[in-house]
Amino acid sequence: MPAAERALPRAERWLFAPGDPRRLAAVRVGLCALLAARLASGPYPELATQPEALFRPISFLRLLERMPSPEVVAVLQSFALGAAVLATVGLLTRYTLPLAWLAALPLVAMTSSLGKVVHNDVLLLLCLVPLLPSPAGAVWSLDARQRPVARPGPAFGWPVRTAMVVVAGAYFFSGLGKLLHAGPAWVLSDNVRWVLYASSDAQPTPNPFALFVADRPLLAHLVAAATLAVELGFPLVLWRPRLAWLFVPAVVAMHAGIGLAMHLDYAAMAATVVVVLVDWAALADRLRRPRPASPGRSGPVPAEERR
Amino acid sequence: MEPSPSPSTTERPPRWARWFVGAYLAMFVVCGVAGLEAWPLTGWRLFADARQARQPGFQAVTVDRAGRETPMPFRHLPAGYRGDVQVLKGFAGLPSARQAAVCQAWATAVRDRGGEVAELRIYQTVTDVSQREGDRGAPPARSRRFTCRPGSADAGG
Repeated sequence: MPAAERALPRAERWLFAPGDPRRLAAVRVGLCALLAARLASGPYPELATQPEALFRPISFLRLLERMPSPEVVAVLQSFALGAAVLATVGLLTRYTLPLAWLAALPLVAMTSSLGKVVHNDVLLLLCLVPLLPSPAGAVWSLDARQRPVARPGPAFGWPVRTAMVVVAGAYFFSGLGKLLHAGPAWVLSDNVRWVLYASSDAQPTPNPFALFVADRPLLAHLVAAATLAVELGFPLVLWRPRLAWLFVPAVVAMHAGIGLAMHLDYAAMAATVVVVLVDWAALADRLRRPRPASPGRSGPVPAEERR
Repeated sequence: MEPSPSPSTTERPPRWARWFVGAYLAMFVVCGVAGLEAWPLTGWRLFADARQARQPGFQAVTVDRAGRETPMPFRHLPAGYRGDVQVLKGFAGLPSARQAAVCQAWATAVRDRGGEVAELRIYQTVTDVSQREGDRGAPPARSRRFTCRPGSADAGG
């Protein structure tokens, strides 16, 4: 059997292998809390007052002539926020999680209807998709108080692993896009220097972090190469979970660096990576039953290390 | 509550779950590989182009009755006005009525903040970011492309 034909059944076995209900619950709690925080702090009321002439709708918002009205936005935001909070604590999770996602969708679409796709919240929305039809409230929820204790099983594995594939794919495709559109010049030219100079010049005061890198051509090439390596290499965490120790801090550092140097906020994207890729159930076990420390075995447990 | 440590490996996920995951990941991968935007699915184009030192752009300025130019304070306007880069990039392709409406919206926003707007000008710029003056880039070369007055948008320059 050719390697490609063998790979698909192997991937399917991995994707649909049994999972720990606590791992799924942790991802539900983390992502829904993050969604609630984004919904509570998003600029939706301001966007609702945008003049019609500036509306650059994306996706299904093209059905509208302008941004949804402030009244509609207020109702949607309250409803989505309430549902997200209930899904976080796991009350009527089968209903509140999909309702939170559906109500959040047009609000997040508004932030991308200014002419440019805002990716910060997109990864969060996409990672929540596999949780929508899943038993994400089976444990660590108010729903679970009335039910028998859930045991690990196939129903709890695929939602988390699908979200992991989405996270890995997001970074891989981001790197692939750079290769396809810019090629080696993305690293080998002065691309990163010019990006950082332009960003610093656009800020009210010169940005010392951007200028520190941009003024040093070799450092700028290293930053570019490291960025591309992290993005293209991210899917390795699916094959070797221990590599999450490298890639998760690396993308968090990358987003923090972009935030410092360019004042672009990718906090929700970085938080989504941490929520999905860290095995919180294993971490909880470790904290509850502390063992003698051994080299390389302390701190958060990367994705599925225990399996 | 602690779940049993031994997973029930004999169970299989339902057929719908396999179809759901397969269809979802297929759409996700197609958008990622082809760079398609089918929001919330996306092509993940993040800083995908290699920038050159000479960067084309646009600049919008308001002009008061004394003829003084002031850059449009987009950063200080509400969130709905922050798509200025994309609006300016596509401004030339807008119907004249839409151009006038955009100018009117910007002028109104500045006036609401106490600014004076007799005219609004849009310049096409070329900035060479490699030319530095201390911590700042050298001013861009610019040419006027549009002049908007209340109720009209005339091509200029």
